Amino acid sequence: MPDVSLRGLSKHYGSIKAADNLSLDVRDGEYLCLLGPTGAGKTTALRLVSGLIRPDSGKVFLNGRDVTRLEPEERKAVLLSQTYSLFPQLTVAENILFGPDIKGASEEAKERLLADMLDLVRLTKRPDALPRELSGGMQQRTALARALASGADVLLLDEPLRALDARLRISLRHELRSLAKSLNITTIHVTHDQDEALVMADRIAVIRNGSVLQVGTPGEVFDEPISPFVANFVGQSNFVVGRLVKKGAFSEVRCENDMVIQARGCDCHEGQEVVVGVKVGNTEIIREGEGFFAGRIERVLFEGRNIYLDLDAGPMGPFSAKVPSWRLGKLNVGDTVQIRWSADKANVFPMPDIGLKEELRVE
Amino acid sequence: MPEVKLTNVSMRFGDVTAVDEVSLTIADGEYVTILGPSGCGKTTLIRIIAGILEPTEGRVCIDGKDMKGVEIEDRDLGYVFQNIALFPHLDTEDNVSFGPRVKDKAKEEQQKIARKYLELVKLLDKMEMFPSELCGGEQQKVSLARALATGAKLLLLDEPLSALDARVRVDLRYELRRIVKSLGLTTVHVTHDQEEAMSVSDRIVVMRAGGVVESGSPEQLYTRPKDIFTANFVGETNLLEGWVRERKEGKSVIELRDGSSIEVAICDREVGEGIVVSVRPEFVFPFTEGLHSHVHDIVYMGTYWRVRAQSVSEDEVEFDVPAHEGNLYQNGQEVYLMVNRKAAVVYPRPREGIAEATKLE
Amino acid sequence: MYSVTKESENLPSGVDRFISAISRRGFRRGWTGFIILFFLGFVVIPTVFILTYIFTDWSGIQTKVLSDSVLTGQIVDSIVASFEIAGIVTVIDFLVGLPMAWIMVRKEFPGKRYIDTLIDMPLAVPTAALGFSSAIFFAVTKPGLTSPLGLGLVSSPFLLIILLHVVFSYPYMVRSLSAILEQIDVTYETAGRTLGAARFTAARTITLPLFRAGLVTGIILCFARSLSETGGTVIALASMRSANGFNTGPTLINFLKGQYGSGDANALPALAFVSILLIIAALVLLVVLKVVVMKVRLPAGKVWPKWERILSRGWVPKSKDGISIAFLVIFVLLPAFFIFTYVFTATSGGAGSWNLFYESLGISFLVAGVVTVVDLLLGIPLALYIARGGKARIPAALDVLVNVPLIVPTAALGFSLGFFWVGPKPATGGIALVLVIFAHIAFTYPLVVRNVAGAVEEIDPAFEETARTLGAKPVQAFRRVLYPMIKSSILAGSIMAFTRSLGETGATLAVANVNTAPVYIVNLIKNPPFDYYTAAVACIVLIFVSYIFMLALRFVTRKRRAA
Repeated sequence: MPDVSLRGLSKHYGSIKAADNLSLDVRDGEYLCLLGPTGAGKTTALRLVSGLIRPDSGKVFLNGRDVTRLEPEERKAVLLSQTYSLFPQLTVAENILFGPDIKGASEEAKERLLADMLDLVRLTKRPDALPRELSGGMQQRTALARALASGADVLLLDEPLRALDARLRISLRHELRSLAKSLNITTIHVTHDQDEALVMADRIAVIRNGSVLQVGTPGEVFDEPISPFVANFVGQSNFVVGRLVKKGAFSEVRCENDMVIQARGCDCHEGQEVVVGVKVGNTEIIREGEGFFAGRIERVLFEGRNIYLDLDAGPMGPFSAKVPSWRLGKLNVGDTVQIRWSADKANVFPMPDIGLKEELRVE
Repeated sequence: MPEVKLTNVSMRFGDVTAVDEVSLTIADGEYVTILGPSGCGKTTLIRIIAGILEPTEGRVCIDGKDMKGVEIEDRDLGYVFQNIALFPHLDTEDNVSFGPRVKDKAKEEQQKIARKYLELVKLLDKMEMFPSELCGGEQQKVSLARALATGAKLLLLDEPLSALDARVRVDLRYELRRIVKSLGLTTVHVTHDQEEAMSVSDRIVVMRAGGVVESGSPEQLYTRPKDIFTANFVGETNLLEGWVRERKEGKSVIELRDGSSIEVAICDREVGEGIVVSVRPEFVFPFTEGLHSHVHDIVYMGTYWRVRAQSVSEDEVEFDVPAHEGNLYQNGQEVYLMVNRKAAVVYPRPREGIAEATKLE
Repeated sequence: MYSVTKESENLPSGVDRFISAISRRGFRRGWTGFIILFFLGFVVIPTVFILTYIFTDWSGIQTKVLSDSVLTGQIVDSIVASFEIAGIVTVIDFLVGLPMAWIMVRKEFPGKRYIDTLIDMPLAVPTAALGFSSAIFFAVTKPGLTSPLGLGLVSSPFLLIILLHVVFSYPYMVRSLSAILEQIDVTYETAGRTLGAARFTAARTITLPLFRAGLVTGIILCFARSLSETGGTVIALASMRSANGFNTGPTLINFLKGQYGSGDANALPALAFVSILLIIAALVLLVVLKVVVMKVRLPAGKVWPKWERILSRGWVPKSKDGISIAFLVIFVLLPAFFIFTYVFTATSGGAGSWNLFYESLGISFLVAGVVTVVDLLLGIPLALYIARGGKARIPAALDVLVNVPLIVPTAALGFSLGFFWVGPKPATGGIALVLVIFAHIAFTYPLVVRNVAGAVEEIDPAFEETARTLGAKPVQAFRRVLYPMIKSSILAGSIMAFTRSLGETGATLAVANVNTAPVYIVNLIKNPPFDYYTAAVACIVLIFVSYIFMLALRFVTRKRRAA
């Protein structure tokens, strides 16, 4: 039985639809990332699960039980806000023990719990510190310990790493995930950062405009996106517009410049206007040999592990590619190179009704 | 003449030293990023350049002129704030034309300038809108246009992208460099995000605890960082503890904790000295022989898999494999890892220990 | 999962059951309803009840008031005078208060803490004492009341009242302006300066327009305070050698009440009429001011770089600061505390009884104490409701209504409230005391509500929300999370309510003849046999008592700002 189940949740504020027939199942012990741009409805979804807001329609199930009418304190789904909300006048220890205190736990039980928690989040040295004396990372760990100590079944994290420095985020991703996993607690982690989602999630649910577009493992969402938006949001993609000329195990698409390119099989029908998307990291750049079409390098940006190239592919439009940085030196601005990709890395989508530009718009 | 020159600048607030004797030169037309963790003093430094703070010690020269006693409004620079700070009671056009207006330019001139810069950031169609009606990325672009519209040749950016979503940040930073370079501006950009720093800068200055650690081009800092803190901060890296066993031209041997060894190409340290080897994950690869390790985690990164292992020498080692090979690895599996000799960098073992020396907070 | 077993898990204690019971949605709705009804029934409606007199006895007004041109003239003159005074006072306060607020919020300098305390000093002085003190300082006073150190310059009652009102309204203006200024992020001005604007230009074109919304509240409060004041005005006029039958609206009410009390039944319609006019005028003012301040076009478009640069640097800003501080000392502090000199230079001896004074002090304390307790018990829940209500209709409407008792002049309020509960006949004995308490509740309740609501609005709701998802019921979340954060605001609000009640004269006199301390002092000065010396000493005692409370307020709020 899924641990958290959202069925057809809708919530609007005036004319804004914060949740639009939102449905999602999260499995017991799963670490699920809810990924989407700002305003997609991610925080609304968390607040609906926690009970801080009531849906206009739809139901929330926790552990098979319909909790839609229950108050937050009755649900055992704890919410960790973006700013951590550590109670400023309470020490680290008092913050962590807030939940057990409310329940009236015994002194020994609380002492044991506190020791375990401080150990778990590596804060054994600072139990008497006040929140304002702690660094960002320490505050986050305290908030986490507080949430875990409350005995909740479900952990709801609202952009837990957003307030931290970029480099610190990368280090803390693993720690956060292992913590949740070691306790086998079902976790819904909301974020706008696809790198974070890819690294941390068992499954990713991509959300936009209040509804879930796609749910799948990181591999599925990255390699088999369900729409151009997902293809571009979870890892940047290049897009080519054309018409489907052959359907089968592989698709063949005829583009504007009359080139025929290959891609994975799809559900569209022959003659339909389609969009082919291929990830920037899967776009190959070769100096010698045959590619699909040529492009002129406009910009070379060193990013450390990779180089990011902006190319002008003439009638095919602007293209981007990410190649390993050991190729730096050999690819320069002004060079003309060949662009290609392997067919199984390209996905075919029907042309979106609202047009490609609107479909890809993030904000 | 160098555009910005800081000489022994220090900033103290009571007994807290935010900036500790920093000397820095930024050449005319250069795009320099000051990179460091929160609290390293980078924001204080840029505010000193702008004149928002007066340094406790030291000198700030812009275009050869000493800036002591010179008010903010007389320094002729553009400043983009982290929290954007668009005037909420003015629409986009009036925000952008604020600079020209304050210089008492004619109304048509103000409009012309505003339009020119709004077009540059591709927001001409949002001229009549108010800041509250724009989304984050658009607001920041307007903020940039406003700073540029003063006609200043020096641009200061205080964590300009930090408040934005990851996806929007990526798109905007390329735009930022393109615009700045097309106008030939000298730019000082402050950030904690090393990926951002590497993709926009001509040169990066790494700061920590009020002082400069090192400075260099993105490639220099990534491939041959001089300080172990930089090695860990700018990009991810594996850090292996050991001793120099043998020193030879082009091939030195490093002995690790448990006796196993790896080879590096360049080693400036003496035989017997305690050292730390830094090698980035993309330069570690599995082989038939090498450092014996056990896989404990594999993470999908989209176009490759990051495999995390623990070596018999008790070091954490991460390496990358192409996407289609990911299924070859599982937890507990044994692997033998080779290190790309030329990519390895050797550092003296820090006295305070590796953890302290590379601490991010 | 980490779960914690409670030892007595199976038997919920009595406290737990109670908390569960009051946490149920139905109970919470009922409680909210009760609080709102109390507010409406005990505070709002009695305050404006006198307006119904228009319907119940219009003929009385017509025959006894409107047909008597002398009386009508007197009424109109007094109300016009009240508004003119309030208007001039507000303008003066704004012009000198704004630079002072700027200094307090934006600048750091040695001794700033002392100036901060000095600004609040007049709040510690009951207006009755202020009236006495200012009169002796500025005016040409009655024989037997002069102080050799006094200026003795002012013989126009209009001018004296203006000077007096500036003394006690100045702190309101400075505090209101400071509060708004603190909320405006200084980054906007800094941004303006990086774009080339001089300090003055940046302040004028960026901060001032952002100021506007909050400015309305500050101006309205200041205006209303002046409009409302009775005790000090009565005493000041009574102390002057020639007051020429000058009256403000509140003093006229006071005079007419006296008449009615001595048996002139025709005074009743006049009383009602003045009260009605004052209330309507005050409420209209609320709306008009809002519109005017929001719509006035400031010349934000035009810039004069050369001039504004000069205004931003060198001697100009420094002298502006100097003038502000000089004004504070000469026109606010000196008049407020001049009364101390009277005691040393005047001769003692008088008909005043110390026993009567101590009794009046006791009554004042009793009233202030009861009033403050009621304000807290029933004001905090309303504050929470309004603050957490956001833009929903009922909380927003209540937010506006809360200001009504603050704006309506307390003399009119007192009369209306008395009329609401017991009708036109003057109350006596225990009922009189109860009525005074009710009246004081009416205009101090909003002080508590606004203070607490303001503090709650500043607190991120995420704190309480997190507490609830951690398992805390709403009551527990309030007690453990929100309450510690607003404790000092609650304390500040209660101290404000207490001192306000302690110093009030107009409402007390208008509702019933109860001898609170300020009323006692007024009697000593207005009615023969006059005893100025005892009155002065009584004022000083009252000042000391209030001052102690004021210090407590400062201590508490400073602790909050440091936290």
